[in-house]
Amino acid sequence: MRMAEKGPVAPAVRASFERRAGPGRALAEQADGVARACRDMAGRFRGGGKLIVFGSGGAAADAQHIAVEFVHPVIVGKRALPAVSLTDDAAALTGIAAAEGLEEVFAAQLRLLGGPHDIALGLSADGRCPEVRRALAAARDLGMLTVALAGAGGGDVAAEADHPLTTPCGDPCVVKEMHVTLYHLLWELVHVFLEHPATAEHGDGHGDGHGDGH
Amino acid sequence: MTVPDDTGMQTLYPFLYSGGASADALLADAARSAAEKTAEIAELRALLAERHGEALLHCARRLAEAFQAGGRLLTFGNGGSSTDAQAVARLFACPPPPARPLPAISLPHDVATLTALSNDVGFEVVFARRLAALGRRGDIALGLSTSGGSRNLLRAFEEAAGRGMVTVGLAGYDGGAMAEAGTVQHLFVVPSSSVHRIQEAQTTVYQVLWELTRRALEGDL
Repeated sequence: MRMAEKGPVAPAVRASFERRAGPGRALAEQADGVARACRDMAGRFRGGGKLIVFGSGGAAADAQHIAVEFVHPVIVGKRALPAVSLTDDAAALTGIAAAEGLEEVFAAQLRLLGGPHDIALGLSADGRCPEVRRALAAARDLGMLTVALAGAGGGDVAAEADHPLTTPCGDPCVVKEMHVTLYHLLWELVHVFLEHPATAEHGDGHGDGHGDGH
Repeated sequence: MTVPDDTGMQTLYPFLYSGGASADALLADAARSAAEKTAEIAELRALLAERHGEALLHCARRLAEAFQAGGRLLTFGNGGSSTDAQAVARLFACPPPPARPLPAISLPHDVATLTALSNDVGFEVVFARRLAALGRRGDIALGLSTSGGSRNLLRAFEEAAGRGMVTVGLAGYDGGAMAEAGTVQHLFVVPSSSVHRIQEAQTTVYQVLWELTRRALEGDL
């Protein structure tokens, strides 16, 4: 066993951490957008809706993380909320990809599982994921509340979302780290809004609507 | 793992518990709290560079040697950490171009084996048995835990160390039993008591570890 020791930080290590410093500080600028998304998500949960999460590649793991976060909270006493990830079932994913094309893998599942009271949450660290973009569009057609965690890699998946939360950074690894914080905050603040009586009348959650986020 | 409510909900959201707040005040309160949390993780991340910088460098060079000798990366964790195990395996095996792919397997994602071992033997062996079946001397075993105390991870590290694998552990709090076991050669403890901040910081640790390993393999470290 070797505990890490304090010492001078090598330039390569320092460079890696410094690339995270700016986006880490800039994350605070998304606080208002996160709060509004959580208020509207809480409205959907209160109305009996469920959360459906999806993403490709590394974001498929984030989708599973979000589902377990809501269903089995790490904080004792927080209620379980209904959430499902569309990225777990290799039979479904490969079956749909073979029959309808890769771009349909999430949209096809959403059309079967999603309804107008539900929430769709799509993640893409570079913002260029056609599967996520198509699923968010399908979710809007179904009347779902749509939330996107995106990055600034040149894509526009966030354009489809009621609540686009875009991290303005082109490095997908750094964006992923910001996304982990963002979805932990989504979980925590959804519970704050759910527990507060002042928001009880906001049953629907269409709130700020399309294009208002940051 | 689950922990008591230490998020300070009553302190951070005074309106929530006074019962008299408007919806607008709550929204402002929630946004302020979100901004505070982002500052916390930024500070914690900066601390990691100081605390673990040299150890990350050393570990990355060791991983590069292992890959060069034909070793593979085997990753594991429970719950949210199982998704990190998957993410880190994917980062090594399917990296952003032009980085070269490296052999990596995420152990929690074979549901048939996981449920078979849980049902027939017990949850404590789910990773250890798979390491025994798949792992070879010179492979890398990387496990993530927030508490550092998960029994099935401790068993996995014991198995891996006994087989001559390179062992890498990510933990939180004070490192828990993973820090005491003597089976984790490269241990990175995130000094926080928030499960969420620990997971966020661990994401940075394993992604920086990948970046440095890649540089070491390219002769640039």
